[in-house]
Amino acid sequence: MDAGVISIAPWRLLLALVFTLLAGGCSLALKLGLGRDILIGTVRTFAQLFLMGWVLGFVFAVDSPWLVLALFLVMAAAAAHTARGRVKESAVSFAWPMYGSMAAVYLLITVTVTGGIVHAEPWWKPQYFLPIGGMVLGNSMNSVAVALDRLFSDLRARASVVEMQLCLGADAAEASADMTRAAVRAGMIPSINSMMAVGLVSIPGMMTGQILGGSDPTQAIRYQIVVMLMLVGATALGSTVLTLLIRRRCFGPGDRPLLR
Amino acid sequence: MPQTVPAVTAHLALSHVRFAHARATGGSKAEGEARQILDDADLEVRRGDFVLLTGPSGAGKSTLLRLFCRLEEPQEGQVLLNGQPVSTLPPAGLRRRVSYLQQTPTVSAGSVRQNLLLPFTFKAAANEPKPSDAELAALLGSLAAGDIPLDQEASTLSVGQRQRLCLARALLTRPEALLLDEPTSALDPDSASAVLTAAESFCLDSGGTVLLVSHADFTPTRVSPVHYRLEGGRLAWMRA
Repeated sequence: MDAGVISIAPWRLLLALVFTLLAGGCSLALKLGLGRDILIGTVRTFAQLFLMGWVLGFVFAVDSPWLVLALFLVMAAAAAHTARGRVKESAVSFAWPMYGSMAAVYLLITVTVTGGIVHAEPWWKPQYFLPIGGMVLGNSMNSVAVALDRLFSDLRARASVVEMQLCLGADAAEASADMTRAAVRAGMIPSINSMMAVGLVSIPGMMTGQILGGSDPTQAIRYQIVVMLMLVGATALGSTVLTLLIRRRCFGPGDRPLLR
Repeated sequence: MPQTVPAVTAHLALSHVRFAHARATGGSKAEGEARQILDDADLEVRRGDFVLLTGPSGAGKSTLLRLFCRLEEPQEGQVLLNGQPVSTLPPAGLRRRVSYLQQTPTVSAGSVRQNLLLPFTFKAAANEPKPSDAELAALLGSLAAGDIPLDQEASTLSVGQRQRLCLARALLTRPEALLLDEPTSALDPDSASAVLTAAESFCLDSGGTVLLVSHADFTPTRVSPVHYRLEGGRLAWMRA
């Protein structure tokens, strides 16, 4: 697949620093105070991506399903950790269900794509499994954070409505049904919207990579279509499972609301 | 005169209840202080009693009502309905038997009719027949709210009308006891009178038990209330 790839020589890679120097120049000229962030960001970009390239190269060489799964779980834990950090709520503990269900749900989606649709042989072939798994995790991490943030803020803002319905004989699920729906919707909408815009505004990432790698664009779009549909499914399943699981934790014994 | 061990026949009872608001995690320092609200509190209410509960602001009157419908859980002691700990009863069923009316009347989106029928949309009411429009109108009429059209958006009602709507909705669940949390505090005199008359009727005509929290002076006209004062975490029976 990489027959058409033009290799970037190390000194040419350093040439790309011209762009960050340009950004640094803007920061200096306009006194934006972004110089430090640009410097750290540049160093991190180099360090993190070189590390990732090295790790991926190692995993590809070892070619073991256990190593692939272990790396996927580490990526899932990092995604869950990032999503958790974005949700500010201390009255409900949701870390473990979040780690567990994100790993399970996104593993299922990734296996379905690599094994069932792309038909990689074997299904865990790291060249397919890890990039696809990474895309699923990266996108779904945002949707899960949005959904949970919405769930918690709605349950707090509309606590009197939840309580009113409980007092009329609703159980916790019935009393919070509106807030649950709104949360899952909020988590799903960005990936649905991106289906509307794809191909109109920019060439999406995976397709760009394949085209740069020398693939036939008509072949590249097939991958991109799979990716778009996969992300809609992943954000839907992830938001739904996480919201339902964590919604239960917003109520104590006797369906007593904990957020108010 | 504080009550002691509740009799098994009491309709609603508290036995040695201690309750403190949970220490907030990550809140401000003021919120972080746990505050003892009920300290070894005992109460015994017979079926059909009309209990008036008074006490200074922040004494825990609302908390006391909320314990009976498990919107709060005591740290120690027992909350009993007909001698059974409320923690052993299915929560949805309990909350229909012991109906708590919030201090601020809360309506859901939709019409007055949809609000009145809300309790019948839940699983707990799966086998209960829905009341007809005529029954709903008659119920509103008994609360001096017969002029509210069933099709009107509930969000457009005045506070007094909302409170009467909420009381009507609570009565539709056919509760054994009504827990009224300062139900007239924000109401005009006509609405307040309608709500209190309905509470008295619930007690006199339906044999229901009423716990009414009020910090204003309130003298029922048709029932002789049992008056308790909550102060310093304990309940004291006040002679008439």
